[in-house]
Order: sequence, then structure tokens, then C-alpha cells
Amino acid sequence: MKRSGQLLEDLQKRKKRQIWLAAAGIVLITAWSARETDFSVVSVVRGFGEIVRFIGQDFFPPDFSAFRSLIGPAVDTICISFVAMVVGAVLSLLLSFFAAATTSPYRWLQASVRAVCSVLRNIPALIWALLLVAAYGLGTLVGTLALILTSVGTLTRAYAEILEEIDMGQVEAVRATGASWPQVIAHAVLPQFFPGFVGWSLYKLELNMRASTLIGMVGGGGLGFSIQKGLKLFQFQEVCVAILMVIVLVLTTEFITGKLRERLI
Amino acid sequence: MSMEVDWAPAGAARQTGRTETPARRRRDPVLTGAAIFGAVFFVFGLIHLNFDYGQLWKGTLAFVRSWAYLFPPNAAEWQPILAAALETLYVAVVGTVLAVAVAFVLAFFAAENVAPKTAPLVKGFVSLLRAVPTLVWALIFIVAVGMGPLPGILAIFTHAVGMLTKMFAQSIEEVDEGVLEALRATGAGWLQVMLQGVLPCVATSFLAWSVFRLEVDIGESTILGVVGAGGIGWEMANAMRNYEFDTASFVGMVIFAMVYSVEFATNRLKNRIRLRG
Repeated sequence: MKRSGQLLEDLQKRKKRQIWLAAAGIVLITAWSARETDFSVVSVVRGFGEIVRFIGQDFFPPDFSAFRSLIGPAVDTICISFVAMVVGAVLSLLLSFFAAATTSPYRWLQASVRAVCSVLRNIPALIWALLLVAAYGLGTLVGTLALILTSVGTLTRAYAEILEEIDMGQVEAVRATGASWPQVIAHAVLPQFFPGFVGWSLYKLELNMRASTLIGMVGGGGLGFSIQKGLKLFQFQEVCVAILMVIVLVLTTEFITGKLRERLI
Repeated sequence: MSMEVDWAPAGAARQTGRTETPARRRRDPVLTGAAIFGAVFFVFGLIHLNFDYGQLWKGTLAFVRSWAYLFPPNAAEWQPILAAALETLYVAVVGTVLAVAVAFVLAFFAAENVAPKTAPLVKGFVSLLRAVPTLVWALIFIVAVGMGPLPGILAIFTHAVGMLTKMFAQSIEEVDEGVLEALRATGAGWLQVMLQGVLPCVATSFLAWSVFRLEVDIGESTILGVVGAGGIGWEMANAMRNYEFDTASFVGMVIFAMVYSVEFATNRLKNRIRLRG
């Protein structure tokens, strides 16, 4: 009894020491990073007044006469992210069968599909757009392609993980009733696959919507281009309207996908 | 993965993966409607965007051909590039840590169960911060304070506060009401209830969300440079502007290595946190 009490105390002491060590490490890294980037509270405070003045005076009131000319870019943005999500989802659906351990015909194929997807996923859409602009020229095509690439990267892995988690018991059970292959897919595989499939696709749509507002900045069309252009021309009140539209788009997408997801579960 | 996530992706697949028995799948008219709308909208989108498919073909050829220029990657300027990569990490760390500190405080005023009066206000405010993408914040801050890492840090900080406050508040709201009730019954004040009752319950999930946010922010930080907010994105934009494709491919590799190793490290960390929690 006494020994276990001693042990517990030791354990608690060790845990406490670990927590302190971790905290000290975080503080140290942060301080070092702040030093290297010349970040200081003084510069923030000095900058803060300027930021408030800039946002308060130059940005507001928003110039709503620009609204009409921004509808086009906004529709572009919506279309880009939606089309990219759908195309990305279709491609990923095919690829995920090769990326899931349970369905992939060859081990090396699974590994290489996963590796490619990891590259696609881990290089941000904006960088992809930057790389693609040189080949495809400016325009919505580049934005869409960049988002398709990251969509394939994210969704293939997500779908593959859903496939791997499919309960084979259910599949066996359906097969045992003498069901044909299409019947097995329809009654055992799809019902398990579908909710996750739609959930992840909607999630990627959300991400695409956010990203597509930015891709315009490097020449991919949409609202990002309007924001970048307006800032360069010092038309801040117009930019303000564009940013408000981004906010509305992002929040609306979040709301709709959230509602759909609720219905799905 | 670069953009912000307000919905935990790791648990998501697992949660939605659970379904009702296959035989009794009911048809939800709203979902069917949404699917039909989605299909129609997809066609509309394709028509609206009016892609030049000849350009798609030509561009793809040009892109494939440009791979010859991408290889071998040119690491001649590895010193400034690696310095920029480090700056990217610094920006992400400072921005995220500050955001965690601020969100930690704000969350207690944003949770319905412990601060019903201030919750709607704080929640509305942070959702505004969250809805503006980090890159747009960076653009605004660049105009206000000039180029360099400072606007990058501020941009990451602002957006991360928006997301972390929401996630932290959600964790607080999930704390069992009984725990709070029990503490209140002992005559503990608000602060004491928070420190003794709420904090121990939420510490793990706070930690998990912070780690997750750091991962997202490092991804975000790599692209901030494209608009001039410091870091490796600047090197990439520069290389592409000068048609130095081989340097660009080296920068791309560095970015991939950075983001990938962070994803790898945080996955391990998350697993450990999950095991403990």
C-alpha cells in the first residue's frame, strides 16, 4: 500500500516535471522565433494604431457601388471551388481503390498513389497555382486545376481511409446470402462508404471556397484577383466590399455544408 | 491542407463512418434535392467558367515539358531559401503561440455554459476573424505596417484566434454540468470554478487543438510570402517570376518537406495526446 502510494507520488512528480519542461521548451522556442523575426510588443503596439486607423478610415465605409462589378468574380469563385471539388471527388474515388490497403491490387501501387497524394496535399493550392500559371496562362482554368490537385490529394487519402475502415463482416454477411458483386457493393459497401464520402467532399468544398478566394491573387481568377487589384490601386473601400463578400461566401458555405452534414448523420 | 479547418478532420471520417443498417436507408428529400442541385450547378459551373479546352491540352503539354526545366532542382541558393524556410516556421510559431494565449482567455467568455452573457458577442466577433482568410489579413496588415514577417505573424494570429476561440469554447461547453455544479456548491467563485473544474477537463483537447492549429499555420505561413509577408512563399514567387523553374522546384521540395514532416510529427503527437486523454 505504502509502496504504491510512493510510486504514485513519484509518477505525479515526474509528470509535473515533464509539463514544466514542455512549457519551458515552448516559451524558449517562441522567444527565439520572436527574436529572429524582430517581433516585439512595441512594434505591435505601434503598428496597432496604424492598423486601426487604416481599417477604420480607409476601409470603411464600404463602397457598395462596386458590388455589381464584383458579382462576376464572386460567381467565378463559387464555380471554381465547386467544379474543382466535384472533379477532384470523382478522380479521388477512382484513385482511393488503389490507395486503400484493403482494395489495392498491389502493395507498390498503394504506396505510390499515397506518395503522390501526399505531395499534392502538402503543397498549398496557392503554390500549385503559381506553378501552373506559367504553363496555362492567367485565368480561372489555373485556379480550378490547382484546387483539383489539392482536392485529389486530400480526398483520395480520406476515401481510402473510409474504405479501409469498412466492416468486412457486413460484406461477408451480404455475400453469404448469395448476392452478386453489384449487390454486395450496393448493400454492404456503399452504405458504409457514403456518409464519410459526402462528409469529406463537403469539407473539401469548404476548404476550396476559402482557397479559391485567394488563388486569384496569383492569377487564378475570382474574388482574390479583385482584392489584390484593388489594394494595388488603393481602392480600399472597394476591397472592403470584396472582403465582405468573401466573408459571406465562406460563412454561407460553412452553414450549408454544416446543415447537410447534420442530415447525413 | 493549407487552409483553415473548423471541423476536425481526423475524427470526422470515423464519426460519419457509422451508419444505420443498410436495409433501412431512408431517402431524405433535402439530401436528394441537394444532390440534384449539385449536379445542375456543376454543369452550370462548367458552362460559366467556359474553359478553353484547347488551352487545357496545350497547357498540360507545356506543363509536362516544363518538368524538364524543373529537374534537376537548383539548390544553388540554398542559404537564403533555408533561411526563408526558418522564417516561415518562426512566423507560424509566434503567431500560433500568441493566438493560443489570447484564445485561451477569450474562450472562457465565449462558452455558453460559463459565460452566457458575453458568449454571443465574443462568438460573433471571432467568427468574423475566422471568415477572412489568413492571406487577406496579411494583405491588410501589409498595407498598414509594411512588408516583412510582422504582418505575417499578425495575420496568422488574427485568424488563429478566430478558430481556436471557437474550438476551445466548444470544449468548455462539453464540460459536464455536474462538475461545475459540484464546485459551485462548495462556494467556489467563478475563477475557482474555471481553474479547478473546467481547466482539468479541457486541458487535453486544448492541447490537441493547439497542436493541430500549429500544423495548419505552418502550411498557411508557407504561402504568406507570396504576397510579401515574409518566409519561403516569397522565394517561390520570386523564382517563378524570373522563370527559374529549377530553383522553384527546389523551393517546392523544401515546402513539401516542411509541411510533410510537420504533418508526420503532429500525427504522432496527436496519437500520444489521444492515448493519454
